[in-house]
Amino acid sequence: MGERLKYRILMVSDFFYPNFGGVENHIYYLSQCLLKLGHKVVVMTHAYGKRSGVRYMIGGLKVYYVPWKPFLMQNTLPTFYGTLPIIRTILIREKISLVHGHQAFSTLCHEALMHACTMGYKVIFTDHSLYGFADAGSIHMNKVLQFTLADVSQAICVSHTSKENTVLRSGLPPEKVFVIPNAVDTAMFKPASERISSDEIVIVVISRLVYRKGADLLVEVIPEVCHLYPNVRFIVGGDGPKRVRIEEMREKHSLQERVEMLGAVPHAKVRSVLISGHIFLNSSLTEAFCIAILEAASCGLLTVSTRVGGVPEVLPDDMVVLARPDPMDMVQAIEKAISMLPKIDPQAMHLRMKKLYSWHDVAKRTEIVYDRALRCSNQNLLERLSRYLTCGAWAGKLFCLVMIIDFLFWHLLQVLQPAKDIEEVPDIILPNCQHGEKPGGFL
Amino acid sequence: MLQFLKMASDSCIVNARYKYIHDDHKNPIEAIDAHHVLVRTSNSRVFFACLSALLLTSTAFSLSLLKDKSILILLWSLLLSALLVKLFLRKPVEKESIIIMSAFGVQLETQYGRGRKVHRFIPIDKILKPVLNECVTPVTCYWSLSLIVRGEEELTLVFKEIRPPVKMLIPIWKALCAATNSLGNLEQF
Repeated sequence: MGERLKYRILMVSDFFYPNFGGVENHIYYLSQCLLKLGHKVVVMTHAYGKRSGVRYMIGGLKVYYVPWKPFLMQNTLPTFYGTLPIIRTILIREKISLVHGHQAFSTLCHEALMHACTMGYKVIFTDHSLYGFADAGSIHMNKVLQFTLADVSQAICVSHTSKENTVLRSGLPPEKVFVIPNAVDTAMFKPASERISSDEIVIVVISRLVYRKGADLLVEVIPEVCHLYPNVRFIVGGDGPKRVRIEEMREKHSLQERVEMLGAVPHAKVRSVLISGHIFLNSSLTEAFCIAILEAASCGLLTVSTRVGGVPEVLPDDMVVLARPDPMDMVQAIEKAISMLPKIDPQAMHLRMKKLYSWHDVAKRTEIVYDRALRCSNQNLLERLSRYLTCGAWAGKLFCLVMIIDFLFWHLLQVLQPAKDIEEVPDIILPNCQHGEKPGGFL
Repeated sequence: MLQFLKMASDSCIVNARYKYIHDDHKNPIEAIDAHHVLVRTSNSRVFFACLSALLLTSTAFSLSLLKDKSILILLWSLLLSALLVKLFLRKPVEKESIIIMSAFGVQLETQYGRGRKVHRFIPIDKILKPVLNECVTPVTCYWSLSLIVRGEEELTLVFKEIRPPVKMLIPIWKALCAATNSLGNLEQF
């Protein structure tokens, strides 16, 4: 294998630091690992409050916080063509070769992919969640996804279940979709140096307390387990609309001593909460991958989870006990987990997780996807338009119209603001660079 | 004994919208480093001005012929188009300059179209550092040169009204770094 080509990648999503979440962490860790491999990564997202403009993160990761205000659930207002000037400017000034969008629910991502396709760049999309097919919101979003993914070069999903879901929703050919699971920062999630005593078994739950994450199941399961096992204690971290129900359950069954509510746990404190327990309980009703159980396994906890979505693909069978999303089934699974506890060695679990999951591995696999994407042939406008027409009777024609207007708008911009007027940014190498390279820059 | 005064060469960078001139007067008594950025009249402005004037005059002419109204309308339209041309061709900002006197301070000057000049002087010991920033707006991204001034919360822009390209800003930034002794940072680049 000869020297790999180094790429200049633009990551686009509405979800990035200072928010914490699965997608945000994924983009951050993937970008850092790609930087270590020698590529250049630039992230583009919308402004968060006063955080607007250009910021640099560790490793020289450049982030553009574009001052578009979010309007609904962290998403920028979809204006179709409004973001074309700024995206074009960023693509030219950073000499980008590839655009990588994240998360189907991000309007900025869809717009960026659409404009990048029009301008002839190679485009990659990563889908992080599972979505339904039945309700009105899902139907419309799937249509939008069909449109955006119609000429994406390659796509990445985080599990095989997610690949099936994405392929069905978007009509992409399965050969174009790669499966690269998420990973966990095993250096941060280490088990406690001393094992906690096993007289009292502590079950930890950390999740947003919403319907999707199965908070209603918790309301049924916790009193039952507390009744069956007098030596079991629960720690519930997280906040959300269903918190009230859990508090009510606590009051009703007088479980104040045995169920501890922590409220929202900041990401930096998650490890300290996890290592205070023996078992991690995940009751989600739908999950494309579930990084939470990876973090728990990395800290040496045995996991009990609902068998939904991509969860069965995440951990080996001896580290997880699966159950149907039904209260009785889950109680039996917890029973089985409690009986398995004496055989669990947290340090051994942690070492296994270190070998199984690492962000460097994810970055190397993503590099392979980038190589494949850049080898795809270029397509002119007519070929792309013919693909859009297959999206639907009315939708296809609408998409064609949208793309034609985008194309014309792009040419207008090329006249008003020629590419040679947009100055390219020199690569600023930070003072403590490792290899003693000759710094480029202004001189 | 004859003393030869050395006049350093004036350098000049030109682009479609701006023209950058560097006057470097070095003599034993005073050292003044002046950088000027002039705004050039672009061809498109002339074109639009003439086009709008022509359109207005022709509309008024055809109106007066068709509706058989008085010649007053035509005269008014001619006056209006003359005003429009004058408005389009006049530049709101003529020139922005920065004069660096390393012993005293920095003078920022903006010359507007009507001859009005606005000056601002910043003493040398109040300038902590000159910085080149990337500014992001909803539609574009550009470079700007600013000064971090002691006692002020916000950065002081060197060029308030105009946005010269970064190749014109770099020599000014270097001169400012040298004048304010921020030389340590130049080594890293």
